[in-house]
Amino acid sequence: MNVLQQVVNGIIIGHAYALVAVGWTMLLGAARLVNFGHGQMYMVGAFVAWWFMKTTGLPYPVAVLAAIVVGALIGAVLQRLLMKLTLARDLVSLMIVTLGFGQMLEGAAGLAFGPKPQTLSSPFQAMSLRFGPIWFTVQDAILVVATIAVFLALRYVLNATKFGTAIRMVAEDPPLTRLGGIDVSRVYMGIFAFEGAAVAFAATLVAPRTPILTSMGFDQVVMTFVVVVLGGIGSVAGSYAAGLCLGLFTALFGALVSPAYTTAAVFALLIAVMALRPGQLAASANFAR
Amino acid sequence: MSPLRPMSRLAGVIALAVAGFFLPRILGGSTSVYDTLVVIAIFSAMSYGLDILLSDLGEISLAHTAFFATGAYAAAILTVRYGQNAWVAMVGAVLSSLALALVLGAITLRTREFAFSLVTYAAAIVCMNVASNWDFLGGSDGIVGVPPLDLSIGPLTLTAGQSAEFWPFAYVLLLLTLYFVHRFRRSSLGQAALMVHMNPRLAAMCGLDANRVRLQVFLVSAPISALAGWLYAFQRSYVGTDLFEAYFLVLMLTAVIIAGRRVLLGPLLGTALLMSQKSFASLGAYGDKLVLGAILVAVLCYSPQGLAALWPRRRAGAADAETPSSNPSVRSQHG
Repeated sequence: MNVLQQVVNGIIIGHAYALVAVGWTMLLGAARLVNFGHGQMYMVGAFVAWWFMKTTGLPYPVAVLAAIVVGALIGAVLQRLLMKLTLARDLVSLMIVTLGFGQMLEGAAGLAFGPKPQTLSSPFQAMSLRFGPIWFTVQDAILVVATIAVFLALRYVLNATKFGTAIRMVAEDPPLTRLGGIDVSRVYMGIFAFEGAAVAFAATLVAPRTPILTSMGFDQVVMTFVVVVLGGIGSVAGSYAAGLCLGLFTALFGALVSPAYTTAAVFALLIAVMALRPGQLAASANFAR
Repeated sequence: MSPLRPMSRLAGVIALAVAGFFLPRILGGSTSVYDTLVVIAIFSAMSYGLDILLSDLGEISLAHTAFFATGAYAAAILTVRYGQNAWVAMVGAVLSSLALALVLGAITLRTREFAFSLVTYAAAIVCMNVASNWDFLGGSDGIVGVPPLDLSIGPLTLTAGQSAEFWPFAYVLLLLTLYFVHRFRRSSLGQAALMVHMNPRLAAMCGLDANRVRLQVFLVSAPISALAGWLYAFQRSYVGTDLFEAYFLVLMLTAVIIAGRRVLLGPLLGTALLMSQKSFASLGAYGDKLVLGAILVAVLCYSPQGLAALWPRRRAGAADAETPSSNPSVRSQHG
């Protein structure tokens, strides 16, 4: 058992979790929304990139951009649908709507892309790097670097720009933000578009590792749910840390204890944290730190 | 709603119940009609478990698929592995769902609305993960070969094969569930649940322990979904991890929400609408998913109180009594 290799795998998986989770973390932090359609948005992102490469023959990086654009559009559509409920702050109804939205996306993707498994092929997946006993692909390296870049950029936008300030105000108190002369629905639109774009971007970077299926949404992001809830409660930086810790935990638990029960172990941990500290979810106003 | 005298009202209900029993024959009596109505009866019984929690307590449990699956798994394990009869399986389904509800209820006792839904969702995922990996529960293959339903008592033979034979059992389960939910809404627990939901401060002043009421309602709601799962295991003759799928969750939620909350026949009509579309106007598996999701989204986004709220002749005040989590006095308690 090569523990060092497992640690490297854990770091890579952890960055994948963090990147898949980042848009959702923003949604939870700023709009207080748990998006159960996140997995299906991930799936659509991967399939749009695959379909784009298949029909146009353009290279992988262009397909990544196309997926990001479609992802942002889906996020915007979701925002339009949820407008009324978001302003009413009916959190529980919002949550259920996202479940229904996920079902819609899965159905639509099934109709559009068919039931067969496909492969999103990235040229970087075939290139590998080897340092002594440790091995990873160039795709993995890109994933890690891109994740760090996205988190740093997000931190900058939230803390050092006017739009970031508006987002933090909306997270704190939407009615007061409206009184302050800021168009709250535009801020929400930005957050939702970011959510869609970020998850599509994550999908194009992570999906080349495995075959893609229109029914995969749930399985692919089930771990991300934990990152979002545990990390998103605290802060954006917290979700990066949560992703990394979870990646290391799943890699080591899977290798050393039991691969089958990894999900159950992680979720049992989540339940324990939430049941013991239910107040944590309410206090998310400082999410931008 | 015009006040009817109790006797004539009772007669009306009985007439409706009897008419309901002959509904499949009225609709032509084909196998597909019977199968659809059986599934409608079972799934709406399943939805009523969630309905009690959602409409009366105002909390959205995402773990009711787990209760439904618990009932089905208990039935399959007791009949296939241990050769027990359907009655024992029924008791097993109720007890195992109560045990699960007790654990979950204790964990979620202090969580409210948002956190409550998240924890129940996480719990459902743990259950699914355990079911698909634990050999005792059949692992990812599930458990096949559940025998036909046999509820015979002494000389009275009560067996059911498929379709038409199964219908009376599913219909009786549905009627019992409806009666139970009706009684629950008039019971002191049902009233307490509503008060805890609508006005927690008043409830506290009346000496109600909110946590105790919540736990009790949770314990009442779980066996309802579990009994539906119990019957479903016999109808389908196998159980598997697909019982945990989001499909059932979305189906339940849509069925409860579509007509409006605290409408006794609401979940039944919702389920009937959704399952009829699936059986008789199917657009394929993907198309049906699209329709189900779209209905849920459309109802919640454009008429959050359900379609009944659009009905102009509804009792005045009923709409006010049915604003669940958007009630500011409720929300300020845990904001």
